[in-house]
Amino acid sequence: MSGTRWTRRNILGATAVGTVEVVAAGRRALAAPAIVKGSPLTYWGGLIFSEKANRTLSGSINAWGAQTGVRTEVVMVNQNDTVQKVSAAIASGTMPDALDVSLDLLIVLARQGVFLPLDDLYVSIGAQNGGWMAPVDKASLINGGRFGIPFGVSGNMLIRRNDVLAKAGFAKPPATWVELVAQAEKAVKPPFFPMGLTLGNCGDGNTQISVLQSYGGRIADDAGKKAAIKSDATRTYLAWVKDAYDKKLFPPGVTTWDGAGDNNAYAAGTVAFVANTGSIGIAARNDDPELYKGTLYSALPAGPLGVVSPIAPQFRVIPKTSRNPDAARALFEHLARPDYTASYYANAIYGPVLQNETKLAVFDGKDPILAGLLDLVQRGTAPAYPDVFNAAYADAYNNFVIPKMIQRVVVDRWDADRAMDEAQGRIQAIYDKYA
Amino acid sequence: MARHLGQGAFAYLLVLPAVLLVLGLIGYPFLYAVLISFTNRVVGNAGHFVGLANFRYLANSPDFWAAARNTVTIVVVSDALKLAIGLSLALLVNQRLPGRGIFRAILMLPWAMPAFVVFLIWRVVYAPIGGALNLVLGAAGITTEMIDWLGERPTAMPAVILATVWRGFPFWFVSILAALQTIPAEQYEAARVDGANAWQRFRAVTLPAIRQVVVITVLLSSIWTANAFENVWLLTQGGPSDSTIVFPVLAYFGMQTMQLGQAAAVSVAMLPVLAIMVFATTAVAQQGSDE
Repeated sequence: MSGTRWTRRNILGATAVGTVEVVAAGRRALAAPAIVKGSPLTYWGGLIFSEKANRTLSGSINAWGAQTGVRTEVVMVNQNDTVQKVSAAIASGTMPDALDVSLDLLIVLARQGVFLPLDDLYVSIGAQNGGWMAPVDKASLINGGRFGIPFGVSGNMLIRRNDVLAKAGFAKPPATWVELVAQAEKAVKPPFFPMGLTLGNCGDGNTQISVLQSYGGRIADDAGKKAAIKSDATRTYLAWVKDAYDKKLFPPGVTTWDGAGDNNAYAAGTVAFVANTGSIGIAARNDDPELYKGTLYSALPAGPLGVVSPIAPQFRVIPKTSRNPDAARALFEHLARPDYTASYYANAIYGPVLQNETKLAVFDGKDPILAGLLDLVQRGTAPAYPDVFNAAYADAYNNFVIPKMIQRVVVDRWDADRAMDEAQGRIQAIYDKYA
Repeated sequence: MARHLGQGAFAYLLVLPAVLLVLGLIGYPFLYAVLISFTNRVVGNAGHFVGLANFRYLANSPDFWAAARNTVTIVVVSDALKLAIGLSLALLVNQRLPGRGIFRAILMLPWAMPAFVVFLIWRVVYAPIGGALNLVLGAAGITTEMIDWLGERPTAMPAVILATVWRGFPFWFVSILAALQTIPAEQYEAARVDGANAWQRFRAVTLPAIRQVVVITVLLSSIWTANAFENVWLLTQGGPSDSTIVFPVLAYFGMQTMQLGQAAAVSVAMLPVLAIMVFATTAVAQQGSDE
């Protein structure tokens, strides 16, 4: 056997070489991405309800910058102000190198050619993590391309007072909207108003679009061009909502609730069901442990057509004006690594976007909010489904056409056909703008 | 001559910074908004000239006409109420009453508070469950009904107007009080000597003296009320259905949908009404000063 004689010098030499290799390999793994000299990588992170999650994001970006030698500047932007800030930044040519955006904004701006295509990065991150979750994959395809890297799924879940409902014999979440009304009627009576589902002109009020769609109602046709709200399915849905309203299952004031209306009612213990993101649970965990313990989360119930429980994914994007696109891409890859996502999801109110993320310890079902979000991603539907999510749909959504139609029926006491006619006119006028 | 011209140029030079400031901070944004209203600009795209398309779209929208109706209603009714309350309180506090200084300070509180705090408080007052108004009515034995003040069409607009008046009357009060305090006491004494009763003194002495201030207050208050967003947004978001929607809320919806051209068109559509109001008020004020 020919062999090397292991002298002390050889061992020390081999150790030194090995150390250099390990360090070099480490450096290769976090190789410094190309960056324009003197300009930091600027990142606008979307500020969310969890301060810990916000700190995890900014801390991780800065730590990655320190490791790779990239100077980073993270600015956390209130998500309510993103549209205004981005609008001003585009006009003034001061967009950051990378930023977080909602699907609405991604669709509008990707179509304007504001963002770089990220198809290869999207495929690569998906391949490394067992693939993308189906509704996320569907939602992120815009004009046949990928312009954003998804990083978290939000969306309204059905949040219920399990403590109250279980006592009445309803241990499981209602499977259908009709069952929800039945549970509400039997389990709770006024002055406890069970159905805290917003019917006002606010984002939560648009959850009623999902209920309508689960009844087979549609905003527009399959081509996403013509209003299709007037239908038998919409009539049936309106009868359902009117019946529940007339039975006083909705709390008084629900037609003018703002975005915090259902949160406040749930926190005050006056309702049994709300459709909301997990923020209610996070608030209860901190302020009302008893309410937190008595609360469970699930995807929205089904209508005659099945479950329509839309997800709202968040995306990381790189503007075409970015001075450091390579560094931004490297950062996105870093932020998709399981060691980061495990700590982020533990604090953020987001469901997973990648198949492998569902196996993270944080989604083991012990945290009821994350369990609900996982259920939402697994059973949920792509945004707008079965409608086409285009700019006209987003316009109708943001003009609260469906909550207004409901208000016509329950407040103004219009008959369903008259309310549908008005909504049909409003929607068609909106879709005509984009024709 | 040359010296005169030099003095004139120097005077223009002195006012130039102020003129530039006004042009930059008022003129430019105003003209830019008008320009955008004729385009299909959206977030991320400058768009192109579309003529009157945005205005045609608005004119065909039921929300636009509801907003026009509601904006005029809120402005006219709340200004009338603010005038009545502000004038009454100013006349009262103008008397030599004990503790009137404290009274004046208290009356200014609604104006001093941030608008969003005021309207969120009113939202709590109007809340059907546990709201102060229903509790008071219940305790007084007037009704035990859980009235949904903001959620029913007959009560939503009066509720918004009441909160708007509460927030805005101190401005009227303090403006009219300031005018009242400039009226020489001798005028009232002379009127008394001539045998004028209280109503005649009010009509012949007080009203002419405060007229200019009232006209200016009407103008300012009308513009502020027409442009107010928080009162409606924080109380009803323009609902229920279209019963309280106003122009600023409609413009906000346009911003939410990233339709900047359309949102600007809503604001520009308000301009003719506001312009008429300004010219009419200025004319009345001018007439008053000429007399």
